[in-house]
Amino acid sequence: MKRILFVLTILSLALSACGGGAAKPTAAPVVLHIGWLGKPDTLNPAYAFLTESTTIFDLTYNALVTEGPDGKYVGSLAKEWKHSDDGLVWTFTLRDGLKWHNGEALTAEEVAWSIRAPMENPDGWATNSSYVIGFQEVKALDDKTVQITLENPVGNMEYRVSFLYALYRKDFEGFTTPEDLQNFNNFNLIGTGPFKLQNFDKEKGILVLAANPDYFEGRPNVDQVIFQTFENSDAMVQALKVGDIDMMNEVPSSAFETVKGFENVKAIASASRGLAELIINSAPATNDPAPIRNAALEDPQVRLALATAINKKDLVEVVLQGLGAPAATIIPPVLGGGFWHNPIKDVDFDLQKAAQILEAAGYTLGADGVRAKGDIRLEFRLQFASDSSNYPRVADLLTGWFKEIGVKTTPQAVDPDSLTAAITPTADYDLVIWGWTSDPDPDFMLSVMTTDQFVEGGWSDSGYSNPEYDALYLQQQVTLDPAERQKIVWQMQEMVFNDRPYIVLYYDASTQSYRSDRFTGFIESPLGLEAAISLRSVKPVK
Amino acid sequence: MNRRDYLLRKLALALVTLAVVVVLNFILFRVLPGDPIRSVIGRNVRISQDTQAALRAQFGLDKPVFPDQFFDTLGQWARGNLGISWSLRQPVAEVLAAKLGNTLLLIGLGQVLSIVFGVLLGLVAGWKRKTSLDVCALTFSLVAWAIPTFWLGIILLAAGSSWLGLPTGGIVSPANAGKPLYQVLPDVARHLILPTLTLTILYLGEYMLIMRSSILEVLSEDYILTARAKGMSDWQVLRKHALKNAMLPLVTMIALNLGFTVSGAIYVETVFSYDGLGKLFQTALAKQDYPLLQGAFLLLAISVIVANMLADILYTYLDPRVKAV
Repeated sequence: MKRILFVLTILSLALSACGGGAAKPTAAPVVLHIGWLGKPDTLNPAYAFLTESTTIFDLTYNALVTEGPDGKYVGSLAKEWKHSDDGLVWTFTLRDGLKWHNGEALTAEEVAWSIRAPMENPDGWATNSSYVIGFQEVKALDDKTVQITLENPVGNMEYRVSFLYALYRKDFEGFTTPEDLQNFNNFNLIGTGPFKLQNFDKEKGILVLAANPDYFEGRPNVDQVIFQTFENSDAMVQALKVGDIDMMNEVPSSAFETVKGFENVKAIASASRGLAELIINSAPATNDPAPIRNAALEDPQVRLALATAINKKDLVEVVLQGLGAPAATIIPPVLGGGFWHNPIKDVDFDLQKAAQILEAAGYTLGADGVRAKGDIRLEFRLQFASDSSNYPRVADLLTGWFKEIGVKTTPQAVDPDSLTAAITPTADYDLVIWGWTSDPDPDFMLSVMTTDQFVEGGWSDSGYSNPEYDALYLQQQVTLDPAERQKIVWQMQEMVFNDRPYIVLYYDASTQSYRSDRFTGFIESPLGLEAAISLRSVKPVK
Repeated sequence: MNRRDYLLRKLALALVTLAVVVVLNFILFRVLPGDPIRSVIGRNVRISQDTQAALRAQFGLDKPVFPDQFFDTLGQWARGNLGISWSLRQPVAEVLAAKLGNTLLLIGLGQVLSIVFGVLLGLVAGWKRKTSLDVCALTFSLVAWAIPTFWLGIILLAAGSSWLGLPTGGIVSPANAGKPLYQVLPDVARHLILPTLTLTILYLGEYMLIMRSSILEVLSEDYILTARAKGMSDWQVLRKHALKNAMLPLVTMIALNLGFTVSGAIYVETVFSYDGLGKLFQTALAKQDYPLLQGAFLLLAISVIVANMLADILYTYLDPRVKAV
């Protein structure tokens, strides 16, 4: 064995000598090497579904406005913007001296074209056609002014515009069918952002960005940023430890303490937009097809008892190793704009009280330890999506607590596709543990609870149907005054909290870490250490 | 029956198998629950129902599975076109070709090394039966065979990257991304050391055990006694009489393993972030990417069938009895 090790050492030394020699350029550039567990599905903004793609777009493209670290929207290509009193006409004024990565000047007409493209061809621009719904006309008034005219006022206009990047027209205008447009891989991406795409080797999982020296907010401090894909989080942790990478954008919660203990490594846990919830089948009895579920779930007292029997603090401690927070409402606190409904008072964990609630509602304990009222036994299917390592443990804990109050649940792991099929259109489930990652704007999380979304291809997984809620949803979409909109959003959260189509369990934390002996100046925010604002400011330790 | 007839019959059988596999693959993926569109776009995006419907129409999923989708697919294949992957938006043939090279490089290397060392070790152990050498080799092989793949991989990765400075994953260094592999061979070799070592250790045990039991069986045959009685040296007995006969079960084993080589070594690829076919199969299945799945399983079926045919051909040389069947 010793000899094998010796031979390997010699071999690897020899190889590293020649390998290194070939790779070393003349003047050592500052390279920030990031490890991540995915890669962009494509660099074409028309057909990019993964967050990794959005991360790269954020670094290479610019929209008129962008989300700041505090959740407020700030100007990006636009220096300033205003809307008419009725909220139907929005006028954006561009900064001076904007340039594409190839040196050409950016014009307002090109920005307007980029927004018109998904309006004119929504089937082709699958990713961002939903952002331009209700846009009537977009035009350049002059070289510096873009005007968007709407059919109805839009409450979250800045959020929507922040995903409509200025695209290099010549690359995108030649496609005749949606399919041709979506098959375009945009490997020579031309944008206006702080970094230029230097190379994307999709097969090998390596994406290289170079600093854009002409960036309008100043050149980034590093010369290159490399994203390297790891298929395995343990290998990525090891890579950070030995210094193969300088930063990792996702530390597994089980490894967080270990990583924290590494020398010269800083590990950060910060609030994220992820949440986990217990879904209760709330499809109306009139649903077609008729819901298949235990009728006891229609009883608000049963729902209240279940909520009272869940110790959310324990869930956070045991399942997330403390990296998260107990949750009550579908909007995570980290969203800017005060949309999280703070005054909601969550029910306290109290097994005795939960049992009393059931007793009072007429569910009496049977000889087998399961409560029943007439024919209705408190015995539920408890399914969870197999796409998270956390849910099995959540299911175990819930089953334990429920047992104590005379409710029997049988946990079962189901792959996300089969689970989706069981939920809609068939409405054949009792309780499901699943999660969401919220948008920066509350609109999406709110839409999940609307009646319209409980159809095949829709996003509702509870079947919640409340005409009053649906009306409020439409109202918040067209409410321009932020304070007014906040009020509606709070009211909607209260409805969901009281009716309990979801018992929201916890908010996740996002965990990231970097080599503090090599780099400094990262900006910690819900946007992540890899956001453009952070990677522009990061600089090497001298 | 002569060799030609024997091979022709095998070839005909292989083609029938392939046709059955093609049809089965088509049906199999479509009876899975779930919606390919939802799988492709994931759960965390705001793709409207209209857009989903447009994608469904684009992929032909709005048409009945039979006959429309079935004959569309067959028609495409007949024209030598495997289609375009829904999730990757690249031609399926291109994706498969790119990963096939990587996989063959890794697994081929691992297989060759493990065959060479496994056969040698098995031969020596069988020949020197019941010596301490045999016991050691046997124990080592049993342990190697029983070790979980990902565990061995992660241990070697931790040791190799900490003490020897070997890379923690990938197939080349980021600086060499985008270059053809043959231009950066030293770098590729450095990245291959640990995964190859893992694979070699894993397969080695299996080959050694087969070889050892096979050689033991052969050595107890009467013709070996006869050979010894003729006064042949140990080496001559081994080479001329024992080895060729003992190779038969091994050839079967190798053929089977090589056939499945193309399916990749999913654990090893995952541990070492190695971009091969195994990972591709997994993502294709998770995304319900029918064109990619069908292409991938076609490739897998062809390689298993070809490997088996090669084994059959080899048999005709190794074992004259085969032709007589």
